[in-house]
Amino acid sequence: MQRRGGLLCSARASRVYWLSSAAILFAFVLPGLAAPAPDRFETSVKPFLHEHCVMCHNAKLSSGGLNLDRFLSQTAAAALSDREHWEMVVQKLKAGEMPPKGMPRPPADQITTVTDWVQTEYARLDQAAKPEPGRVTAHRLNRAEYNNTIRDLLHVNLRVADDFPVDPYGYGFDNIGDVLSLSPVLTEEYLKAAERVARAAIPTGQPQKLIVARYLAERMGQANRLHVQVVHEFPVDGEYTLRAAWFQGYLPGFKMKGRLFLDGKQVLEKDITIYTEMDRGFEAPDLQISQGPHKVEASIEIDPAWKKEKPYVEYIQIHGPTKQTPPELTAPYQQIFACGHAPGHHNPSCARKILEPLAHRAFRRPVTAKELDDLLSLVKMAQKRGDSFETGIRVALEAILMSPNFLFRIERNPPGTEAHHITDTELASRLSYFLWSSMPDDELLKLAEQNRLHDPSVLHKQVARMLADSKSEALVENFGGQWLKIRNLESLTPDPVKFPDFDDELRDDMLTETQMFFSDIIKEDRSVLDFLDGRYTYVNERLAKFYGIEGVTGPEFRRVELNGAERSGVITQASVLTVSSYPTRTSPVIRGKWILETILNTPPPPPPPDVPALNEEAIGVSVSFRQELEKHRTNPLCASCHSRMDPLGFGLENYDAIGRWRTTDGKFPIDASGALPNGKTFNGPAELKAILKSDGHGFVRSLTENLLTYALGRGLEPYDRPAVESIVRSVEQNGDRFSQLVDSIVASVPFQMRSGAATPGGD
Amino acid sequence: MKHLPRRTFLRGIGTAIALPLLDSMVPAFASKVQADSPCRLMFMYAPTGMMPNAWYPQTTGTDFEFPRIMKPLEKFRKDVLVLSGLGDKNGYALGDGSGDHARAAASYLTGTHPHKTEGADIRCNISADQFAAAELGKKTRFASLELTCEDSRQAGACDSYSCAYQSISWKSPTQPLPPEINPRLLFERLFGDLDLSGTPSQRANQAAYRKSILDLAYQDTQRLQGKLDATDKRKLDEYLTSIREIETRIAKAENDQQQVPVGLEKPAGIPPVFADHAHLMLDLLTIAFQTDMTRVSTFMLAREGGLRTYGEIGVPEAHHSISHHRRNPELIEKVTKIQCYHLEQFAYFVEKLKSTPDGDGSLLDHSVLVYGASMGDPNIHDHGKCPTLLAGNGKGGVKTGRHLRYDTQTPICNLYLSLLDIAGVPTEKFGDASAKLEIA
Repeated sequence: MQRRGGLLCSARASRVYWLSSAAILFAFVLPGLAAPAPDRFETSVKPFLHEHCVMCHNAKLSSGGLNLDRFLSQTAAAALSDREHWEMVVQKLKAGEMPPKGMPRPPADQITTVTDWVQTEYARLDQAAKPEPGRVTAHRLNRAEYNNTIRDLLHVNLRVADDFPVDPYGYGFDNIGDVLSLSPVLTEEYLKAAERVARAAIPTGQPQKLIVARYLAERMGQANRLHVQVVHEFPVDGEYTLRAAWFQGYLPGFKMKGRLFLDGKQVLEKDITIYTEMDRGFEAPDLQISQGPHKVEASIEIDPAWKKEKPYVEYIQIHGPTKQTPPELTAPYQQIFACGHAPGHHNPSCARKILEPLAHRAFRRPVTAKELDDLLSLVKMAQKRGDSFETGIRVALEAILMSPNFLFRIERNPPGTEAHHITDTELASRLSYFLWSSMPDDELLKLAEQNRLHDPSVLHKQVARMLADSKSEALVENFGGQWLKIRNLESLTPDPVKFPDFDDELRDDMLTETQMFFSDIIKEDRSVLDFLDGRYTYVNERLAKFYGIEGVTGPEFRRVELNGAERSGVITQASVLTVSSYPTRTSPVIRGKWILETILNTPPPPPPPDVPALNEEAIGVSVSFRQELEKHRTNPLCASCHSRMDPLGFGLENYDAIGRWRTTDGKFPIDASGALPNGKTFNGPAELKAILKSDGHGFVRSLTENLLTYALGRGLEPYDRPAVESIVRSVEQNGDRFSQLVDSIVASVPFQMRSGAATPGGD
Repeated sequence: MKHLPRRTFLRGIGTAIALPLLDSMVPAFASKVQADSPCRLMFMYAPTGMMPNAWYPQTTGTDFEFPRIMKPLEKFRKDVLVLSGLGDKNGYALGDGSGDHARAAASYLTGTHPHKTEGADIRCNISADQFAAAELGKKTRFASLELTCEDSRQAGACDSYSCAYQSISWKSPTQPLPPEINPRLLFERLFGDLDLSGTPSQRANQAAYRKSILDLAYQDTQRLQGKLDATDKRKLDEYLTSIREIETRIAKAENDQQQVPVGLEKPAGIPPVFADHAHLMLDLLTIAFQTDMTRVSTFMLAREGGLRTYGEIGVPEAHHSISHHRRNPELIEKVTKIQCYHLEQFAYFVEKLKSTPDGDGSLLDHSVLVYGASMGDPNIHDHGKCPTLLAGNGKGGVKTGRHLRYDTQTPICNLYLSLLDIAGVPTEKFGDASAKLEIA
């Protein structure tokens, strides 16, 4: 508990500082370090602090939460125990942000003496320290993991976890073991979900009733549109008919094209000529559709020259199942009933044959005899009560889904308190939940149980296979969505008066672009620096028009090349620009903060207590936004952070609050120039990105820290520094390839090992 | 007695429930009618502060004029008690730096300064509603219902704290309760979502299976725990206590023989317009109170410091952004509009309870509803002035129809002490309370 308390302080004061400064520290690690130099602390460092720092950073003022005064009365060893603050000192000195503008500048060699001393001393301490891999707390599946695991375990894609309470976030992600808690409401949802999933996987034999579901566009907030979409939950595998109808007064001779899509794929394209008022619909009959939610879309395309009243999609109708797939032919049945018999034809030995592999896969490890017996007794119990064998299996399946061995990823404690390698089966789960947000597949589990997975060449091949698998989309969706904060796109409402072009379709397009861009970096194994300035992206016609890119027609996304002037990399994608804006206007502060957090992982400290964040919304229209913002930076208290944030945001002022390119804001021309605290200047987004890219190291480190946090499901701690450092180094030595980043994380000490329990076996 | 057939409607999106509920309809989906109606307790939380000028009545006593925000409650003057001078000092930084909005939510009902963390080691304290629920919940199917109209999902931290601190209800110092946002899911919790078309013996079988499944999950969890360290054990403890709790709930539900009333339709989902959403949730809560499925509830109208926009009342800006109005009259007007809109939902609920008969009076007579915020002027995060009003006299425990003014920064927990008394769960200590408030 001691250890945890300590971590907390560091996490709370600034996860930021040690991480950002580690870059500087470790670039400096040299073999065969010189003997300790405590005397330099007395002769150089203390005088420097005395002269340049303590007039603000003293006990009384404690500017920026930093009191350096106390070091003056301490020995070197005592002073060094406060690593967090020393690293902040190094970072600020190196970045040229301290002493602040207006104060006398110390000579460069004096600064170097101080920073060298700090770095050397900590490098020495680190070399002497034992590697510490840390411990990942028992981790309950989060919503995405639950959904994917059910999908892969049973081929049931109901997405039941969408109904679970929202998972709490910590360290920027919603897969942090420490933070994921469990409430009675969630447990109740688990029980409900287990029953729903088990009934879907093992139907009771009752034929599904035929259902006609009609979704009125108007009721779904999609009135008067040419394109309408709905997510419908199909009750069973079977054949269904999709139908859409348009609405318009009598338009004899009017021609248009009707289209229907299922899960984004076109299933019908039909040329339509209206002859009578009765011509109102088009349908795609008898489509084979699997159980679970699917997206259905309908659109009509009309001659753009038509100026009179236009028809629009009035409703989507789903009719079925007109033919239900026999249970034994559905994927879940075949997955579960491993004995190969049709319903009603099982023999007593089947129960074991079915439940052993099922529980084995669900628990992601071999099942114990006791566990299997417990499940078998549930089957017997059901049969004793007069229910069928299939119902018995269903009850056992429900029990599997309620088992803590399914709901939690738990790593065992070997005896002793030493750091140790996790087992191969534990490694398989870490790997699959990292790359797929799901359970290990059979190949991975098999390798693990043969104890071959930890072999570096086997591991490397598995990582490559897993990244190539479409399930790695989960990494894009869950890691990418949270790292880039584009998950928030879903809940944002840009002002419809100021941004009438923003609608749900454009929102989806923005998200799709960034996701496909990210996927491309994984699939093509590109340099991670492409996140900053990749000269290509993915657009469809709608998004291309929004961006002013010509020659793209149709709703499908395709790759286009970019010259980098207006767009390149994630920072200038509309998704990111929108989530870092207010609903009514842009915010250079939020955008600057977004870059500091996401691209550099050096978030500014929160504003001081009781000083409200700068209120950009309050700014009038009489002066330019920029002038107003610059005014507040004359206040030194604000300036120390805003001089880092605001210029970065100004560099993106060429994009409005939904990411559209602009050269004026109202009556004021856009000024997208800026100067960073380190003296570098730029004009416009392309030059800003060039500066960020020139510090590629900072970005690689930031991405490493973020991805390692996500991979481990815990916040990073000071003892993770050497691991971060070695991952960054290997990525940089291998052309900044994405696969190298993943490989190095998987090979790292914190991913492969676990610290011993402070108290083995319990409290 | 044969129950009346009824036509009650819970139509789809955007439609409130018309509930001509008569006493004799109740037993079909409730536990026994209480000869002596219980007292219900509900806290509705108004996020992101309140403009003092539009909130506080000028005068105290009985004849005060209802200020702009409270105006919709004027017609219930006799049922309302306005309290000025209460404060939530634990919302202040107290050395913890920024994060006033996160602290506002977490400290409001706990009277405790939340431990600042983004991740590991979340810690606050049991909240007043949960303190009551621990006792009152023994008699009802749901110990309490936590509701909201805005999801706390947002990538990143929530105001420099873990997003878990967005909860106002805390079951224990380490267990914040996530609120329900979806009317469909609330409906399913209240009325069950299982196919009730089966025969009684099929239903009995299913009940027996559930019991065995939960027993097995409990035993497996216990067995696992023996091999784990303290931190992992604590995580699994949450599962153990949750299993026990829902076992009890299921047992109670079975005794209730509850059924979905004929014609009561499941809501389709979350209505896009705020007021429609709030009405639907409050309609369901009314049923839950009326049928004694629960006696305790919290309702968070929206996220504290949240970014919801309210285009339908002419406020397309994000709530939090304009709440820092910097005395700009245009922004003050807009943020006040949101605050009026929020209170209208409370007034809707008051009206609903007042028109619902319960025992010898109305449901409102047998309830205490608290409407309040953890901040006054949001521009300065003024935790020292918590706007607070009560509706319903709690079976005579509250003397309504007045405006009382206390000394500045009287702990709001003093009020909770009095409310816990009225609810029949007396305690001498709660949060930072110094003494009971005299509200009778």
